Amino acid sequence: MFAVLSPRFRSIENVQNMVDAAAVLAVVTCGITFVLLMGSIDLSAAGVMGASALTVSLLVANNRNDNDLGLLGIGVAVLLGCAFGCLSGLALVLLKVPSFMATLGVSAAGLGVATLMFAGVQPNVSDAMLKGWAIERFLGLSYLTWIAATCILVGWLLQRYTRLGRYAFAIGGAEEVLALSGVRVKPYKVAVFAVAGAFYGLAGVMVTSQLGAGLVQAGSGYDFSAITAAVVGGTLLTGGRGGVLHSAVGVLLVVVLTNGLVQIGVSPYWQGGVEGLIVVAAVAAAVIPQRRRNQVVK
Amino acid sequence: MSVPASTPALEVRGLVKHYPGVTALDGVDLVVRQHEVLGLVGENGAGKSTLLKALVGLVVPDAGEIRVRGEAVKLRSVVDAADHGIGMVFQEQSLVPNLTAAENILLGGEGPGVRRGVYRWDAMRRLAQEQLDKIGSNIDPLVRTDALSFADRQMVEIAKVLRIEQRSQHPPVIVLDEPTSVLEAKEIETLFAQIRRLREFASVVFVSHRLDEVLEVCDRVAVLRNGQSVGELAAAGAVPRELHRMMIGSTGSDDHYHENAAAVVESERPRLTVRGLSGTSFQDVDLDVAAGEIVAIVGVHGSGREDVCRALFGAEPVTAGEIRMDGKKINISGTRAACAAGIGYVPAERKTEGMVGPMSVAENMTLAKQRSRCAGPFVAPGKQAAVVDRWIDRLCIRTPGRDTPIQRLSGGNQQKVVLARWLVDGDIRLLLLDHPTRGLDIGARSEVYRLMRELAASGVATVLLADSLEEAIGMADRILVMNDGRVVSEVACPAGGKPSPLDLVKEMV
Amino acid sequence: MSTPVALKPAAEAATGDGGPRLGRRLTGFMPLIALLALVVALAIADPGFLTQRSLTAVARTAAPLIVLAAAATLIVLCGGIDLSIAAVASLSTVLLALWLPHLGGLATPAVILAAASIGAVQGVAHVLLRIPSFIVTLGGMSILSAVALVVSGAGTVRVVDDSTVKWLELYVGGYVPMSFVMALVVVALIALALRLTPLRSWISATGYSESAARLAGTPVDLVKIGAFVVSGAGAGFAAIMLVSRQFSGGPTMADNLLLPAVAAIVVGGTAITGGHGSVWRSLAGALVVTLLRVGLPIVGVPSAYEQILYGVIIVIAVTLTLDWSKVSIIK
Repeated sequence: MFAVLSPRFRSIENVQNMVDAAAVLAVVTCGITFVLLMGSIDLSAAGVMGASALTVSLLVANNRNDNDLGLLGIGVAVLLGCAFGCLSGLALVLLKVPSFMATLGVSAAGLGVATLMFAGVQPNVSDAMLKGWAIERFLGLSYLTWIAATCILVGWLLQRYTRLGRYAFAIGGAEEVLALSGVRVKPYKVAVFAVAGAFYGLAGVMVTSQLGAGLVQAGSGYDFSAITAAVVGGTLLTGGRGGVLHSAVGVLLVVVLTNGLVQIGVSPYWQGGVEGLIVVAAVAAAVIPQRRRNQVVK
Repeated sequence: MSVPASTPALEVRGLVKHYPGVTALDGVDLVVRQHEVLGLVGENGAGKSTLLKALVGLVVPDAGEIRVRGEAVKLRSVVDAADHGIGMVFQEQSLVPNLTAAENILLGGEGPGVRRGVYRWDAMRRLAQEQLDKIGSNIDPLVRTDALSFADRQMVEIAKVLRIEQRSQHPPVIVLDEPTSVLEAKEIETLFAQIRRLREFASVVFVSHRLDEVLEVCDRVAVLRNGQSVGELAAAGAVPRELHRMMIGSTGSDDHYHENAAAVVESERPRLTVRGLSGTSFQDVDLDVAAGEIVAIVGVHGSGREDVCRALFGAEPVTAGEIRMDGKKINISGTRAACAAGIGYVPAERKTEGMVGPMSVAENMTLAKQRSRCAGPFVAPGKQAAVVDRWIDRLCIRTPGRDTPIQRLSGGNQQKVVLARWLVDGDIRLLLLDHPTRGLDIGARSEVYRLMRELAASGVATVLLADSLEEAIGMADRILVMNDGRVVSEVACPAGGKPSPLDLVKEMV
Repeated sequence: MSTPVALKPAAEAATGDGGPRLGRRLTGFMPLIALLALVVALAIADPGFLTQRSLTAVARTAAPLIVLAAAATLIVLCGGIDLSIAAVASLSTVLLALWLPHLGGLATPAVILAAASIGAVQGVAHVLLRIPSFIVTLGGMSILSAVALVVSGAGTVRVVDDSTVKWLELYVGGYVPMSFVMALVVVALIALALRLTPLRSWISATGYSESAARLAGTPVDLVKIGAFVVSGAGAGFAAIMLVSRQFSGGPTMADNLLLPAVAAIVVGGTAITGGHGSVWRSLAGALVVTLLRVGLPIVGVPSAYEQILYGVIIVIAVTLTLDWSKVSIIK
């Protein structure tokens, strides 16, 4: 439809642009999908990505210090994301804080950590490899896109072939049955949040590569976009249905939609509004079949 | 390690379990021999479910002991029980719907099916197939569970339970809790064949409301009543009638139900008239209740009687039908509308639906009827206190004060507060009582019965979903029998001419 | 009901189901203790803190937060959450700045009305569509931020003639900021409305046990929608305070108030599971949060720690106030 309305939408550059733009969102969505499969929610992506963006930009070659750790720095940033995810998970299972609250808190903490590291001076990245990720292309697509594709593949393998992925699925389906079958659910929940955090950490690195600098706001907006993409792809917020491949399709839909709207002249500021409408509508549509009068909704 | 064949597979001695305000198990004894199918029957509230939960470690008893093959054990979790070879097929099916049958069967003990956290789907399939082969089922292990029929899912459950064989070298004890309640006749036959096959290598405890089924499939039947074992009999040659007599026992005191206080029913004044009421789980229900009359609705689990009751209170959607109060057609769009029409409802789940635990007795009592506490839009504290104190006094509610959180009261007193909620304004016309005596001891029950009689005498119409058949017969002026969402018969139940429980049971199943 | 109902006393004693949990009892005083401790600590760290000047500054800063938190407390008491308050407030600052030149004195009530209707829409969506409140308001947050960006052109809207909102910048008795007084008035009005009407029981019952409340004939749906309306109106009023102080409206002006407001509610001791709590507690919570905010630089902690602190505070306070009996499975 957008192809008809706007000739520019059809151009090869635009398709390339869209796919590249989808890369970061795809990685974030991969992570959040596992959390959503459990029936929890994760609002920490923005904070974790900010912290990881600052970490990586200060650890690889940059204008603020003499570090030049290269890949190791990227690994540290991903691990940091993993650690933040662990925190969310621990707050959920040990302190019994509902996930949306716990991850809201962790997001704030992540932004705080990022602000501390930012310390008023923007770290510009001079590491050739990291900067190259966003620029260099392989088979017409940027390295970032290939990284995202790999993440989707890894996510799918996790979901299909590992106990972690299958149990995340089962927790969303019927958590009490797992407990009755003698499965200790808590470690898996923490692990799922940790895996999600690692994905956000990588996404933070990717944003840094795109921007060429570490910014506190590196992840702003990605948390909600990722939820939108997952929901559009058919992952239920109540858990137990959907998956990484669904979410990948959702990411493409969201990116095409927002890009298309911009191309036909809608203000880019509406993007958040469109996403908000989509989420509410999708969730409302999903609860219609099970709508009963005396059901409690908090 | 060999165990003599005469040693019981499972033995329960003097098991006691108290809950706040009620004794669920009061010294239960039970013996399950090796390679036998033992039936376990009892009315609602007899303690069956608590006993079963104790057997699989979901409830830790306060006193008494459980012996497995002669050895006393402490069961603290389902895993504990499985380690001792006891497994249960739960009443509400306990499978993860979005996993494959194989995953469900192997859940929590995948063994070689998962190596270092990575699934070997071939091995999973093979292991699951082995379990399914034991029960001769031809379900594809890699099909998603929610795509299976009810009966097939039950087979998956049994296959899952049989996995406990690997945890203990002894023949397992399999507990089946109400396995037939959702099955078709043909599926029940298959299940029974399965149970007979299980007996070859296991002991089975079979729990059901359907007494003829129990007698058909079991070797021996044990009967529970009021948390105690009241006897057992060999199934061969026994008839349901005998079992039922044991389940009900003799009526306690003669005037348990205060029959002499029964109100005169003014049948020419129908208070509630329901015609053709249909909803999600009931169809075409007709119901008349006169002022002062107590009408009981009886039926087995799934008969739809609870939903009819809730529909009359606007808490359950209605698709068709007409409701008249005192001849005037009313539209019950929600619980508010029902309250306004003078209808009151006492839910079965007192703790979660009947009362708001942390709130005070006074607030709980005046939640529904604001007129008793307000002047205009404002709360009049004096007025509220006076009304609440009057009802605490009238119903002899034992509470330290009107501001005590209701959760600190005993069950009987909590229930009286919930009942008083509908009486404070004095405009109640129809009371819907859903298991009003559930979880109450005999003394508290008797008080609730007396209260019901007095309310009826003052002209309140009552619909009662009784806790037991005995209670329905004792309290009601008329009994409707529901089966599968429809009213199948109506039995007059006047004082002095009470029907026998067995007549009703015939209609119910 | 003329028959006197006389029964023999039951042969059962009242069983103690245990008093309030220890954490509950602790949190009853927690906000006040924290408030006092903070004031003392700050007075020691900076002897100049207890001067009229800096206290006035604290009161001015706290005012919008108090209104925001107190109004949103009602939703939390019902067992829900409103994540859109900051976005509503931001949008309201933009609307006020845009409407002031045309509507003059009417702009203030118009903005509050608009904010209240936004709350109403979200409440209706929550109740009728049966979407969990945090999703409705998360979506709402996203939508309203977009609207604010679009109507403001993504820039600050200056207020040229602020004569109609200037009264909020007056000082009562020369010392107490008018905005703070108004915030107290708002809290008092909400608290009075709850205390004098059955609303208090209705809200608590809804929060503690929605199904029990419904089966007792409580107008649960209306109560919830009402809570959203109040929450929206509170956000609108907070926006007016912000505009009066900053002489402008901006599409992200209040966005950084979401975390402090949520923190204020839970630090006050209102349980996120619903039922237990009050607007007074949120007032204390808002003061605690403001003091922390103002105090960190005084004791020499970089303000970047503020965010981390909010995160930690929220998690800890939620844990302490949680009704653990109600949450067997937490998602």
